Amino acid sequence: MWRSGVTMFGPELSYGLMKNLQISVSVPFHLDHGDHPTGRFTAMMPGDPQAEVLLGWRFFHRSPGIGTRNEATLYGGVSALTQDVPRADGPPLRRQPGMYVALAAGHVSRRYDVWVGAGYQGYGTWSRGIDDRQSSSLLTSFVVGWRPSFFDHDYPKPDVRFFWETTGGLIGEAQRGVAPPGSSGGDGHGNAPPPPPPNSSGIVVLPNSGGTGVFSGPTFLCTFRSVAFQGGVLFALWNQPNGVQPAEKVRAVAGVTYYFLRGRK
Amino acid sequence: MSFSWTNMFRGVALAGLLLAVEPVHAEYLRIQLRVYGLDCELCARGVSASIQRMAGVKSVDVSLKKGLLEIVLVRGNTFKMSDLRKRIRENGFRSMEATVTAVGEFKGSKFEVLGSGESYEVDSPDPRASAPAELTFDVR
Repeated sequence: MWRSGVTMFGPELSYGLMKNLQISVSVPFHLDHGDHPTGRFTAMMPGDPQAEVLLGWRFFHRSPGIGTRNEATLYGGVSALTQDVPRADGPPLRRQPGMYVALAAGHVSRRYDVWVGAGYQGYGTWSRGIDDRQSSSLLTSFVVGWRPSFFDHDYPKPDVRFFWETTGGLIGEAQRGVAPPGSSGGDGHGNAPPPPPPNSSGIVVLPNSGGTGVFSGPTFLCTFRSVAFQGGVLFALWNQPNGVQPAEKVRAVAGVTYYFLRGRK
Repeated sequence: MSFSWTNMFRGVALAGLLLAVEPVHAEYLRIQLRVYGLDCELCARGVSASIQRMAGVKSVDVSLKKGLLEIVLVRGNTFKMSDLRKRIRENGFRSMEATVTAVGEFKGSKFEVLGSGESYEVDSPDPRASAPAELTFDVR
């Protein structure tokens, strides 16, 4: 996965616990990191380097016709940051636990797919007195899929679908906890305090963090036998990062999935 | 060894008894089942693998375009249609009408697939038929 200034590698393992309950564990990490507001990369993949355990409950499921499904899934997960994310305005924020909730619903057919989704990523703190916090984010997505008749082969032949994805992200400002006067001083990390003054709670809201953006672009999914290849490029339709952060213009994702398909007993 | 009518009679009687208690070969032979919700290659692969693991299944073919599973079963199986429908449901899909070829016998207006405990109303049963017969019929 790549977005302007950030290159990520994200291994993920999913397992169907029950017919409508799936657990996924992903451990994305940054190979390099820019100063862009990260937010979430995809609905199933955090944008920050963190280990995440995600449960997906498909609470609604109907099959009204041949090759047709309507379904909705609720996701809930917890995460823990695994890498320090460099910041231009000071030392990295201390690592915190996070949580993620999302809802996705879609209609799937042999010719067209439509999906909508929304999710919220938030962060807490491991202990009292440490108020560093990464940006929380709200993510929405709208995806239209199309399987051209040229690729509408019967099983078992490669199955290729094309999508047009649009995602909108609202990324909050990160905050840095500042030690109270009379303590060790500085910003609690042994470094110089950041430029903005702390608020009444002794917390510095970092102005060069967060922002809003809408990205849109083509993606594809190709499955054959037990392997799936997926990828795509999203371009910024509108992007407004807070402060002096550089604007992210493009993001790309490429992935390979292997399915251990035995079906349910 | 001398020929004895008594021994001959005993032998014939024993053979008749053995034939009478031998289980009647009655089973599902072939099932074409309409399944709703199969939209992709992975769906087909998953449900095919799941059914292939059921006892008595010889082969499974899937047509995504027709939404059709074609299951061929080995002779002497104890396969049940209700188990198949349950398996489809547990894989997240919806089983619909089927065309079944099975060996069974008529009991009144019903065709009973012996050994499975499952019976079906068929359109025009042969009221004279009592011996096990192979029949292809539609199941709603």
